[in-house]
Amino acid sequence: MMIEDPYLGRYVTCVSARSTDKEILKKAQDGGIATALMVYALEQGIIDGTIVAGEGDRPWQSKPAVAMSREDILKAQGTKYNISPQISWLKEATRSYGLDKVGITGVCCQMQAVRKAQLYPINMRDIPGKVAFTVGLFCMENFPYKSMQSIVEDHAAQSLSSVKKMEITKGKFWVYTERGNVATVPLKDTHKYEQPGCHVCLDYVSNLGDISTGSVGSPDGWSTVFIRTKVGNEIWSRAVADGMFETKPIEEVKPGLDLLRKLAKEKIDKNQKTIEERKTFGVNKALRNPYA
Amino acid sequence: MTKVVEISPTTRHEGHSKLTLKVDDQGIVERGDWLSITPVRGIEKLAIGKTMEQVPKIASRVCGICPIAHTLASTEAMEASIGCEIPEDAKLLRVILHAANRLHSIALHNILILPDFYIPGTETKFNMFTKEEPARSVMARIARIREIGQTIGAITGGEAIHPSNPRIGGMYQNVSSRAKQKMADLAKEGLVLAHEQMEFMLEVIRNMQNRGFVEVGGKQIPIPKTLGYHNQGVMATSPMYGSSSLDEKPMWDIARWKETRPWDWYMGEVTIDLEDPSYPLGGTTKVGTKANPRMEACNGVPMYDGQPVEVGPRARLSTFKNFDEKGTFAQHIARQMEYPDCCYTILKCLDDLNTSGKVVADNIPLGDGSLGWAANEAPRGTDVHLAKVKDGRVLWYEMLVPTTWNFPTCSRALAGAPWEIAEMVVRAYDPCVSCATHMIVLDEENKIVAQKLMQW
Repeated sequence: MMIEDPYLGRYVTCVSARSTDKEILKKAQDGGIATALMVYALEQGIIDGTIVAGEGDRPWQSKPAVAMSREDILKAQGTKYNISPQISWLKEATRSYGLDKVGITGVCCQMQAVRKAQLYPINMRDIPGKVAFTVGLFCMENFPYKSMQSIVEDHAAQSLSSVKKMEITKGKFWVYTERGNVATVPLKDTHKYEQPGCHVCLDYVSNLGDISTGSVGSPDGWSTVFIRTKVGNEIWSRAVADGMFETKPIEEVKPGLDLLRKLAKEKIDKNQKTIEERKTFGVNKALRNPYA
Repeated sequence: MTKVVEISPTTRHEGHSKLTLKVDDQGIVERGDWLSITPVRGIEKLAIGKTMEQVPKIASRVCGICPIAHTLASTEAMEASIGCEIPEDAKLLRVILHAANRLHSIALHNILILPDFYIPGTETKFNMFTKEEPARSVMARIARIREIGQTIGAITGGEAIHPSNPRIGGMYQNVSSRAKQKMADLAKEGLVLAHEQMEFMLEVIRNMQNRGFVEVGGKQIPIPKTLGYHNQGVMATSPMYGSSSLDEKPMWDIARWKETRPWDWYMGEVTIDLEDPSYPLGGTTKVGTKANPRMEACNGVPMYDGQPVEVGPRARLSTFKNFDEKGTFAQHIARQMEYPDCCYTILKCLDDLNTSGKVVADNIPLGDGSLGWAANEAPRGTDVHLAKVKDGRVLWYEMLVPTTWNFPTCSRALAGAPWEIAEMVVRAYDPCVSCATHMIVLDEENKIVAQKLMQW
């Protein structure tokens, strides 16, 4: 039975969960869901490899990579708050990497791109049938690398090379360093660094992923997980049956779906307004509405 | 009395071409002209001033059937001009890409020619779109062979049509070891299917060759023993891949090549005075229509040793493997015999391929304007590209594509055939017409040709 929510999309079930794998949890942003799911899918032969946000050339820079082993997937753990053009490797994954069943992790807009590529495979020959499993992440907005650099190095006054973890929660951008420094930047100071495309995005919880996950709604160290599609449901059921995850009903955890719905509503309503404003912006021609 | 009949357009091949035929009272062709009526692409002029990286991409857009041959020939022509040697592994990837293209192209050609042929032991021609056996299982096999060829091409080339991976100086990237294994598995599967398909096609072709008659438009047409014979000679540069001016022993000689005009080779204005409304599909051109092949031809007439030559599978086999049959059926036979070769070549190259080897040359010179050429043995014949590159820009560019060579040769091969089966002769060349359009305007004196060409 499918649940439909105007802000949380269509989903079969929603739970709070975390991985039971100690190694994954050690470096996980929250519950290690995306990593554990991809590792599980790889080990079960559901996917041959997956596109992840790997390590770039500079500290905390993300760069898409095709991971074909557990080690490679684990290398890409943790949220890096800058753009990683995952879909640019989708085609190459089926070409020189020789994958037949591709897994993809990405944020909301990237899930939209994957579905669009499947629906209209322009310059994406033979791709639609090769997308085997997608895990979408909750996303409020994203930053270009240089923006993130400014936030961390100028606003938070920390060196990127010594940063251990970054997080956006409780209205602040948090930076934790190797030597135990914790710096925060209020989100009102970071808004101007967001990439403009994020301001017309009407999706907060990756409505188009097979499974979507993120920290909001669950306690620290746990993630909220939406199981959305048949494929997602099957993989999730098998993974839970195999003991890959501990789960709790979402109704029993704090802060729960209410917070998630509140944030989703905030993002979508705000961005809907931007889209409306763009209709009258410009001379004789409105700015494009990506959803029109 | 000689009459003129015209089949326009010819069907079941790539592009637009037509046949203008002078026939005798028995309907036997005395003189045939087969010419391209596909508008000129102008790629050679577009190329001038572009960077050498761009031109192979543009050149491959001339057609969607053998874009791989054009990409490779063009890239290697640039490399020949600038004098760039590519790493071994890049070469292996290119050969795999090339063989994969040939594999799927032969299979595609099977679909196009089979409706001309009879199911052995019956009086029924093949209809590739029925659910009846044997057409259905043959079609399934062809589809799988094509899928295998295109998948291998997509892995090495980045894309099966208009490959993105080849570049000046080698390839953009090597393949993963997983991809290598996948290609090997596919090629092994393809090898079995290719053998089956070859055996099947040989039986069908020999059966046809031994029949005395073929039915066209409700009439029984005799098949001469010498169908498609000509005395124009053959040209091939390699049994599989090709050659370039950088080779130790170049297999093509630019001094023996000369470009001439259709004006010199085709017949002048004629009036159609024979018409057959029952000719499939929709009958031949109406009586009274004027035709002027030497003006209408959109192809050039390249000469090798002063004569047009035949290129293609039969040319390759007779040059390198002592294949001694001639004519339409020999061309078909030769083409089927190349089937397993494609898979063997892929498997052999994969054995040698080092997936962590480098695939881009360390030094890619920008060129000093010297002439370089590269010939690539496309599925349907020798595809020669010539280029002059200076400071990374193309100064001059020319494409001598397979069907350009075959147009005038095939025109001669039509003589002696009943006109109703002239299209069968044409199809045996596996024509790919759109890339064969070619225009020359200026000759040595810089005017005469232009005047003749520009009188519309």
